[in-house]
Amino acid sequence: METNILYTHKELVEQSKLGDRNSQYKLYELYVDAMYNISMRMVRIKEDAEDIVQDSFVEAFNKLDSFKYESTFGSWLKRIIINKSINHLKKRRILATPIDDQMYRIKAEDNEDEAPVMEIKKVIKGIRLLPAGYQQIISLYLIEGYDHIEIGEILNISSSTSKSQYHRAKKKLIEIVKTL
Amino acid sequence: MDNFEKNIKENKALFDVYKADKSKLWANIESRLESPEQKVRAIRLWNTPVFKIAATIIIALGLFSLINIGLNSSSEQNSFASQELSDIDMHYKGLVAYHVKLVENNTQLSSEEKKAFLLFMDELDDEYEVLKQELQKDLDSERVLEAIVINYKKRIELIENLLKQINSSKKMESDDVYML
Repeated sequence: METNILYTHKELVEQSKLGDRNSQYKLYELYVDAMYNISMRMVRIKEDAEDIVQDSFVEAFNKLDSFKYESTFGSWLKRIIINKSINHLKKRRILATPIDDQMYRIKAEDNEDEAPVMEIKKVIKGIRLLPAGYQQIISLYLIEGYDHIEIGEILNISSSTSKSQYHRAKKKLIEIVKTL
Repeated sequence: MDNFEKNIKENKALFDVYKADKSKLWANIESRLESPEQKVRAIRLWNTPVFKIAATIIIALGLFSLINIGLNSSSEQNSFASQELSDIDMHYKGLVAYHVKLVENNTQLSSEEKKAFLLFMDELDDEYEVLKQELQKDLDSERVLEAIVINYKKRIELIENLLKQINSSKKMESDDVYML
């Protein structure tokens, strides 16, 4: 079953590998909105997100031969988008950096069971109000679905740093959403 | 995972709030894509099943040719040896036939003497046939060839001895006449 998922859109992918423009456009059309949203959540600026999406699709199609169905095409493309977004943020020096990470410990009052169910629209709004670094870690963990090991690889930080950053970001987000 | 996280993960799709300008982005992407003509795919021929089959056939043909050449050369050697044997055979056969004819035509020998002699020759003929069969089984056997030659020589020698005896008795008879 999992193998079948890996081969999603296989025909389009294979035709695109051969340079078939129609197949490339069909793949683009299937994934462009999702990829644009990922990039927007990461970099927050429309023009920057558009540049990242364009660069990512060009790279994906020109290097499609290296795609060997070890993941779905969507996951593979998403990783390109995420990496380009992170590189973009690094250039802009607005990447999430661990602050007093070694000192940070989750305190007893951060009782996760008590975290409330919040209206999604308010959560979306709250995320936009978070500092850039917190936004990235919340997006990567809660929305993009990466675990802390993967986030560690993407952001070039340890998984424990990813965890601590995430908990701080989540705490902040809840505080913001409560005020909305 | 607390309720806050669970709620967000279950409603991920709601976070895709942005819409990409598809046609604008595609126009920029397409202009940077390699054209199908430019796209030279690195096809690993040695990895294709067709190539593997072709390679197997070529190797098989090569081996067959090598074996065939080997067989031809050994059959050439065999035919050379056969030719040599045939020449020897013809030579000695001719000699034996000539001497046998001499014995048969000799007027001084009785028919019984001739019969006894020719019977002995027949035995040598049988021995020769056995040796010939041995030789066909193993053409490289020099010993068999030697035995065949010895067989011929024996027959010729016997005939020569017989003829000598006839001649000497003839001479004795004529000497006796002189003596007389």
